[in-house]
Amino acid sequence: MSANAEATRLLPRPMLVTLTVLLCAMVLVPISYIVLASLNSDVGVASGEFWPSSFSLESYRKIWTTADLSTGILNSIIVCGLTAIASALLGTTTAYVLVRYKFWGRLTILRGLVGLQSIPGTLMLLPVFVLFSSAGNYLGLTVVGTRWGLFVAYLTFALPFSTWVMVTYLRGLPRELEEAARTEGASTLVILWRIIMPLSLPAIVVAGIFAFLLGWNDVLFASVLTRPETHTAAVALQVFGASQEGGALPVYSQMMAAALVCAVPVVLLYLVFQRYLVGGLTAGGVK
Amino acid sequence: MATQLLSRPEEKTERRARKVTERQRPLWLLAPGGILMVLVILIPLALALWISLIDLDQYTLRRWVEAPFIGLANYAESLDAGLLHSIWISVSFALIATIVTVPIGIAAALVTQNAYRGRGLVRAVFLIPYVLPSFVVATVWRTMLQPDGIVNSLLGQENSLWLSGSRSYWTLILVEIWAAWPFIYLMSLAALQSVDHEVHEASAVDGVTWWPKLIKVILPYLRGPVLLACLLATLNHINNFTLPFVLFGAPAPDNVNVMPMLVYVTSFQGLRFGLSAAMAVASLIIIAIPLFVYLRAVRLDVHEEGGKR
Repeated sequence: MSANAEATRLLPRPMLVTLTVLLCAMVLVPISYIVLASLNSDVGVASGEFWPSSFSLESYRKIWTTADLSTGILNSIIVCGLTAIASALLGTTTAYVLVRYKFWGRLTILRGLVGLQSIPGTLMLLPVFVLFSSAGNYLGLTVVGTRWGLFVAYLTFALPFSTWVMVTYLRGLPRELEEAARTEGASTLVILWRIIMPLSLPAIVVAGIFAFLLGWNDVLFASVLTRPETHTAAVALQVFGASQEGGALPVYSQMMAAALVCAVPVVLLYLVFQRYLVGGLTAGGVK
Repeated sequence: MATQLLSRPEEKTERRARKVTERQRPLWLLAPGGILMVLVILIPLALALWISLIDLDQYTLRRWVEAPFIGLANYAESLDAGLLHSIWISVSFALIATIVTVPIGIAAALVTQNAYRGRGLVRAVFLIPYVLPSFVVATVWRTMLQPDGIVNSLLGQENSLWLSGSRSYWTLILVEIWAAWPFIYLMSLAALQSVDHEVHEASAVDGVTWWPKLIKVILPYLRGPVLLACLLATLNHINNFTLPFVLFGAPAPDNVNVMPMLVYVTSFQGLRFGLSAAMAVASLIIIAIPLFVYLRAVRLDVHEEGGKR
């Protein structure tokens, strides 16, 4: 170990090793049980085995018929994908104006963007539900239970969050390029499309991914605003769990398999975009 | 976040830039996002306030415009309907969860601060609970904590209850801690990495041992960022609906009947929309205190720093 590393080390070695092992165990013991249980049989898990007596992918096969996961995952991908695209694009244009121009009410909007992330979801869901369910009466539209209704509802939290992610990115972007383009006579739209968008592509992707994850992880809105055909993955899993309650034979292995399947898209996104996403995590404090 | 640390353009170029841009501000670009935000955020929020003042239930829902105005009666009723109990549960749960996650998060940041072989892997492991969706975390813990689940068989206890009765409160706290500590870890790690190398060298030259160095030199650097993280974490704990909902189901046992659960059950199971709107607005007041402090502390704007604060 070099002298440099020696100087910055904060804990004595034995303590460092002990803490690392303890923290890793705290995470990995439950996680490894979940993975092992999903590879076990339902009977094996019910008898209290930690290490399966026989490994099989049976649970991963069964869940597609016992839980309504495929519909749920498809719906989640459609709704959250649309939410991600809409809020990332609209967030970028809004953030661009907020960062580059001064106008009355600008600080209030910025403060609102941050504050909205901490508004309880129940407070937003309630009026949205009332508006949606009365839309049939006042406008002749069915909104509750449709995918696009859920999409609109997800914009309530995805849009401010994506906009804020873009604000934090764009204010670090130097103005010189835009100004050069402006002296050449480029219009604002051209600047936005040809300069800002390409330059901030990583941030736009992050804003989109976070919007996607906000939707994917939501249970509150989806549990109220969907019917069985439009269930998201989260609701499908929750309904599967609740319906097993009091059953004669517990299907814990299938529960674990279904939960892991719902986590896979999220884990994949993190693995691919890890470098960008971890920075964003500390920016907003939203998963 | 890294982008915040980028240097500002120099004063001179900034002044020139403002002159150019102020002439032709394309404020119409705000319209698509702005109008949408007004439609999906401001109007619903205003409507929530209005609903809290009217007697809206399943009979009046479809014609809510005609529901009778009853002033503050919903607020008065919410006090009898268990609002104070739920506020107490929510606030105590959130504070305990935050207080416990701070030392865990800081310890995790301290052990991953120095490079060693395999550190990348350890960091990835630390992020697992945070990356997993809340509903997945709740589902797997719910399964493990069943009376005949793995937790009881490891503890050698037969059919002891974790998901109902008096223990459920501590179950909620423990699972929340398991899922939320990496947030404090991320924020502390970012703060630790901003400590100048000279600080470490100076302590090494002075021959300070690790404990005084940690307490007197390093931790003061962490205080600001960690306090900010605590505010945000507490807000997130208070607003967490998914975890209690999936762990315990709705209606939740009485001692985990946190505010989001109370509002949810009152509106979507009891179908008393007016009453639950009053509860939601009242719970906003609890959140407003830490939120206000947070908004003061967070940097909103490039032009804001200096002078004003």
